[in-house]
Amino acid sequence: MNAKRELPAKENAIFKNILRNYEHKQYKKGLKLADTILKKFPEHGETLAMKGLFLNNLEKKEEGYEFVKKGLRFDLTSHICWHVFGLLYRSDKNYEEAAKCYTHALKYNKSDMQILRDFALLQTQMRHYDALIETRTQLLQAKPTNPPFWIGVALAYQLVGKYDIAIQVLEAHESALREQSVNFEQSELLMYHNSLLEESGDIEKALEHLETVEPKVCDKRAWKVKKAEFLLKLNRLEEAETAYRLLISENPDNYSYIKGLIAVKGLNADNLTSEQQSAMLKIFDDIQSDFPRSTAARNLPLNYASGDNFRNRADAYLQSALRKGVPSLFVDIKRLYSDSAKEKIVEELVTGYEVSLEKTGHFNEEQDEKVVEPPTAYLWTLYFLAQHYDKQRKTELALKTIDKAIEHTPTLVELYMTKGRILKHGGDLEAAARVMNEAREMDLQDRFINSKCAKYYIRNDKIEEAEKILGLFTRPDAASPLQDLTDMQCMWLTLEEGDSYLRQGQKGKALKRYHTVEKFFSDIFDDQFDFHTYCLRKTTLRSYVDTIRFEDNLKGSHYFVRAAVGAVKAYTSLADKPSGANGMDEANMSEAEKKKARNKARKAELKAQKENKPPKKEQVKEEAPKKVDVKKPTDEDPEGEKYLKTTDALASALEWVRPLEQVAPKHIQTHLLGFEIYLRKGSMLLALKALVQSWTIDKTNPQVAKNIARFKEAVSANPPANADVKAVIDSQLATLA
Amino acid sequence: MNIRQATVEDLMSMQNCNLLNLPENYQMKYYLYHALSWPQLSYVAEDHKGRIVGYVLAKMEEEPTDVPHGHITSLSVLRTYRRLGLAEKLMTQSQKMMVEAFGAHYVSLHVRKTNRAALSLYKDTLKFNVEGIEKKYYADGEDAYAMRKNLIDTKKSVPRGVVEEINPAVAAH
Repeated sequence: MNAKRELPAKENAIFKNILRNYEHKQYKKGLKLADTILKKFPEHGETLAMKGLFLNNLEKKEEGYEFVKKGLRFDLTSHICWHVFGLLYRSDKNYEEAAKCYTHALKYNKSDMQILRDFALLQTQMRHYDALIETRTQLLQAKPTNPPFWIGVALAYQLVGKYDIAIQVLEAHESALREQSVNFEQSELLMYHNSLLEESGDIEKALEHLETVEPKVCDKRAWKVKKAEFLLKLNRLEEAETAYRLLISENPDNYSYIKGLIAVKGLNADNLTSEQQSAMLKIFDDIQSDFPRSTAARNLPLNYASGDNFRNRADAYLQSALRKGVPSLFVDIKRLYSDSAKEKIVEELVTGYEVSLEKTGHFNEEQDEKVVEPPTAYLWTLYFLAQHYDKQRKTELALKTIDKAIEHTPTLVELYMTKGRILKHGGDLEAAARVMNEAREMDLQDRFINSKCAKYYIRNDKIEEAEKILGLFTRPDAASPLQDLTDMQCMWLTLEEGDSYLRQGQKGKALKRYHTVEKFFSDIFDDQFDFHTYCLRKTTLRSYVDTIRFEDNLKGSHYFVRAAVGAVKAYTSLADKPSGANGMDEANMSEAEKKKARNKARKAELKAQKENKPPKKEQVKEEAPKKVDVKKPTDEDPEGEKYLKTTDALASALEWVRPLEQVAPKHIQTHLLGFEIYLRKGSMLLALKALVQSWTIDKTNPQVAKNIARFKEAVSANPPANADVKAVIDSQLATLA
Repeated sequence: MNIRQATVEDLMSMQNCNLLNLPENYQMKYYLYHALSWPQLSYVAEDHKGRIVGYVLAKMEEEPTDVPHGHITSLSVLRTYRRLGLAEKLMTQSQKMMVEAFGAHYVSLHVRKTNRAALSLYKDTLKFNVEGIEKKYYADGEDAYAMRKNLIDTKKSVPRGVVEEINPAVAAH
């Protein structure tokens, strides 16, 4: 050991206490003890590093780094110093740097369990699976009595697709376990084992294993689902039918169970014969009569029935829903309109109800005279028709119909919400927001109508009003309604505001919102970190592996795509016409106008800064899960100027598209956005690639046609010097027709 | 409407649905915590386009001083999808799983004192009983009704475990 590292017995004992303090999260105590050592040995590297670690945990990050680095300078070969340095980086979510530190730490102490453990977590987070296998194996070898270490090895092999080894490891682990009574952890482990067999593709073996473990499984539902799926895959149809019927009896509203049954009957193909079609409809009808409350069994046949059969089913379905007053009826039915014959039938039926109900109080003339329909049936019929006409963009007729409904019952919030929608579709955003607000005022207790109303205000670029409205439901102790909703990772609002600011030409604020969404995503990616430890103990491994895969594809989410569309628009327009630091388009302004506009912006900014006072310090008791950092710093850049100051707007834009190219290569937006950037950068081959990809995904997309023309124009204006490049471009362009 | 177990991929939609509908909101990590601790218990209602229009987010309470029981963290259905019985269907499935996978004796939840619509849903439709009032349960200072529903037939003898012996009074509920 390094002579400078060795402490006298007394201080050495104190140092051990310091390590214990850290384990028990006694940061203040540890800090004090560290200072007592440092008084005598101010150059003791490991104590300096520990002091830095405590400071970091006491929210003094910069000082923390300072002390750790100082400690490291005095003792470069200490695994503790390197480990601590890694922990600091990790708490900063700088996984790359943390991993480097751990590698150094292990150089000086190959078998430190705590470092190995922490290293494994990092490797999982960074998806360094080959290295993870190594670390996990080391851990298992060091302590084979620890069940999570066995599971860790199996998981690591699964993640690289080596199922046979993963399964062997689990088998070895299970055979060493003592016989135990049925419990959740064991059950989860066995079902995980089964999922490995399934993923490996050996369904026969998976089914056999499933049967063996049955008595020890408490997740009975998952067990039954897997059994049905395996039997179907193995073509053991009779048993599969029994299995699916059992599942349907437990949840007759689950589409996948019903679809499983249909697949068992071989009726899941397109282009069914009319005999097959009626066989399929009979399956639904049987389920319906066994489980009258199953809406799935009543609703799904509408997809498959045709002609008079469809008319009769639709008639019964519509009448029952209108009688009950189901507000979602139209949204539910409109999917059928992709078939124009069905659209026509629905229209005939419901316009018929309208006339008949108004005249006689019955849905149709032939109805039994004694059956009296509730007066609301007429109301819901009008409500349906208004949406129907709106879908057909017959705005005037839609408005007339919804007004008739409102006249009938002026107190129903849903009617105003629909009127607002119709107005929005008709382009009158101001009236739409006004009507939505009327609806909101009719039910102040309901957050849904509050949210909708706020959204309509934002669509009309009235953000201040919207935030005031939203504030009726946000936490009173938050700095602002927006701050509360940002803390809660509210995607819809952040995206709507971003789009609105973009429409208003306030690119800084728009970009700020889009980058907030980006932050939501990076936080959600970081969220998985703690579960790398947690799930190995809890053994909820099927869900854990789902989580890993979900996080891998996180940015394929439509929320992220929407933010990327906005951000790329903002950045490319910055690249096209650089604006002043205030984010306004100044390209078409005279000098005097520019000056005036800048002054106005400066005033607005000052005002905003004044309004953005730091949050009140008062502590309000809150539910544990909602706990957020109370000491959030004030927003130092409410206008998003830092984004406008980008020196390379196209590079900033590209940062949004790169992740999409990785996880959403089948999404047309990925390539439409890529095209915008590559074309501007003059990267013609990349632009061409994006163009071809978007064309392959959807040739009929109008933007694709426009892009082909833009590309050709760019090439003829600036022909490539290289003959090979020109040849590639010509041959690829020839295929786009 | 398709009623199915929630998966990790549903969590963002559930969070969105919650933010639109309810004043009690949670960060994604809390949803993940549910999905990775009790993956069997949360359910979603999904429309034909795959949009999540309602959900129940549920957990188990496994304190050593009480029998195992489920707890509804959050339940909501978009206003435009009401009157389809979705809340009831979601709850029925979740409760079944609480009993089947975790041996829950009862399920509990909290509801705002002033939220009459929710109170009537839990009381009349879902057959919950008011157990008591929790003063200032919510961040804004409002009281909550603590509600509860039995999930096992109390007349049948329950296999006696250690837990019941510690607290027979609770087990009797």
